[in-house]
Amino acid sequence: MKKSIKPLLFAALAAATLFGCSSNKPSENTADSTGDQTYTIGIGQFAEHGSLDNCREGFLKGLEEEGIEEGKNLTVMYENSQADGGTASQIINNFITKKADLICAIATPMAQAAYSGAKKKDIPVIFTAVTDPIAAALAKEDGTPVGKITGTSDKLPVEKQLEMIRTILPDAKTIGILYSTSEINSEAAIKEYKEAAGEYGFEIVEGPVTAAADIPLAVDSILTKVDCLNNLTDNTVVSSLPMILDKASKKNIPVFGSEIEQVKIGCLAAMGLDYVDLGIQTGKMAAKVLKGEANADELNFEVIKDAAFYGNTEAAKKLGITLPKNLTDSAAEIFTDIAR
Amino acid sequence: MSILLGFMEEGLIYAIMALGVYITYKILDFPDLSVDGTFPLGGAVSVTLLLAGVNPLVALFLSFLAGALSGCITGLIHVKLKVRDLLSGIIVMTALYSLNLRIAGQANVAFFNQDTIFDNQFINRLFPDPFSDLCVLVILAIIVIVVKLLLDQYLKTRSGYLLRAVGDNETLVTSLAKDKGTVKIIGLSIANGLAALSGAVYCQHKGFFEISIGTGTIVIGLASVIIGTKLFKRFGLIKSTTAVIAGSIVYKGCVSLAIFLGMEASDLKLVTSILFLVILVFSTGKEKKVKHHD
Repeated sequence: MKKSIKPLLFAALAAATLFGCSSNKPSENTADSTGDQTYTIGIGQFAEHGSLDNCREGFLKGLEEEGIEEGKNLTVMYENSQADGGTASQIINNFITKKADLICAIATPMAQAAYSGAKKKDIPVIFTAVTDPIAAALAKEDGTPVGKITGTSDKLPVEKQLEMIRTILPDAKTIGILYSTSEINSEAAIKEYKEAAGEYGFEIVEGPVTAAADIPLAVDSILTKVDCLNNLTDNTVVSSLPMILDKASKKNIPVFGSEIEQVKIGCLAAMGLDYVDLGIQTGKMAAKVLKGEANADELNFEVIKDAAFYGNTEAAKKLGITLPKNLTDSAAEIFTDIAR
Repeated sequence: MSILLGFMEEGLIYAIMALGVYITYKILDFPDLSVDGTFPLGGAVSVTLLLAGVNPLVALFLSFLAGALSGCITGLIHVKLKVRDLLSGIIVMTALYSLNLRIAGQANVAFFNQDTIFDNQFINRLFPDPFSDLCVLVILAIIVIVVKLLLDQYLKTRSGYLLRAVGDNETLVTSLAKDKGTVKIIGLSIANGLAALSGAVYCQHKGFFEISIGTGTIVIGLASVIIGTKLFKRFGLIKSTTAVIAGSIVYKGCVSLAIFLGMEASDLKLVTSILFLVILVFSTGKEKKVKHHD
């Protein structure tokens, strides 16, 4: 029995190896050398969800706008650590072994793993989707780089968001925010919301969760205490957003988002970021470093320039709310249906 | 070359924890899940102490003690309160999640500029630039070898023999007029102390603490122990502790290989598990009728 199983296993392994390699071919292809200079970069992404995927897409677009195009003069290695810190540092090791010219790290833990691994090898790191680079020790107190590392922050425009909620819901008193205690970004955002809420006459109700499995209970409990929910960019919570929206709509409680993807799937409105734009901005920084126009340790990290309004009229109709005209007039995008 | 260094480093760091799991799983026959909490506990304690300016080596030692204390609590819950073994581990692991957040202050703490066991003036002078790559590996190897030798010595002592007896034949221990509960508590303390030490080394190596590093620790530990004992114990002369260390390096090697071959990110775990399966099936095949007892 055992004898017959062995060749099978070998075949499976071989197949997996071949499959894995071949499906990666387009991106692994060495860029053709007819252009002047070719670059190899490694993109390490911490987890898999819409916003981070948009960052990556934007990053490549940003590079392309600067004349560095995948398949032409750019070879891209892409790995995702599926939210596992141990895998993250092995991915970075792999990029270093394969002599990447630059490492792009998406989300805080990946950025820290990248800096930790690359700092002795003199490989520049460009990060994105790091909410607070200073707290994550990726930048100094004054915003200058700690080493050959720089990038963009996805800090939320908290004040503008609160102002928007006040405009849409003039009578609301409490805002509930679900966040996971394991994400440093969310804790920073919560702190900021609590500090600013009073100014707009709101009170923040926290709904801390430790894992995705806690979310259904936390939603049920927080919905009994609040006038509306506000969503951060918390990876754990965002992954469960459809369920949260479902529960909230049954109680007729509006849910606000913090970026375009969240509004697309049914959040009422957001004063937020477009992660593709954030990625493009990051890609342009990377292009500067690759072309040798600037060193990574000379560029301060950047925040996205301005927040824009996103609204969902279908979600508004369901709640019996009309989005104020002064907001919709200046909107970056209005969705008329709820994407599934 | 650098990839080899990479997974050797990772493997050695996790080997310390795997030695702990070897004590609970192989020797005591106790499925101890608390390591998922004690691994990050070591990291949290270590980071907090480093930021307070404590010597990195002292920080490692205190992390070990913190882990040992948690292991002791798992043991007390199991022995004195008569809670099932799996459950006592789960209780401690869950409680430690909150505790770790309290100790570290937040979910993620970075300390890139602090002195660690891998990066301080003495070490940097000892290993000038061209050799600095090897420096981490050498330091890790020293730590792992010291831990292994101490553990080997301990298992030869009276208390160590009792530990092994509890796993094999509890009645024997009772008939020797010894309390098997106490022996279990000692075993769990050492095991979790090692897990915390491993977490402390991990964080000093990476330069940051992250609450999620503990998730799945027990899986890595069990895989290392099983791969190690299956694959390397056949050579007879090798001690189980050495085999476990080798197992941990092989485990990390598999993950590195999968990444190196350019696997699609989402297939990584599947490929890694196929690699394990192949190793396990091949090694049991060779072992055949000679049944080792360890």
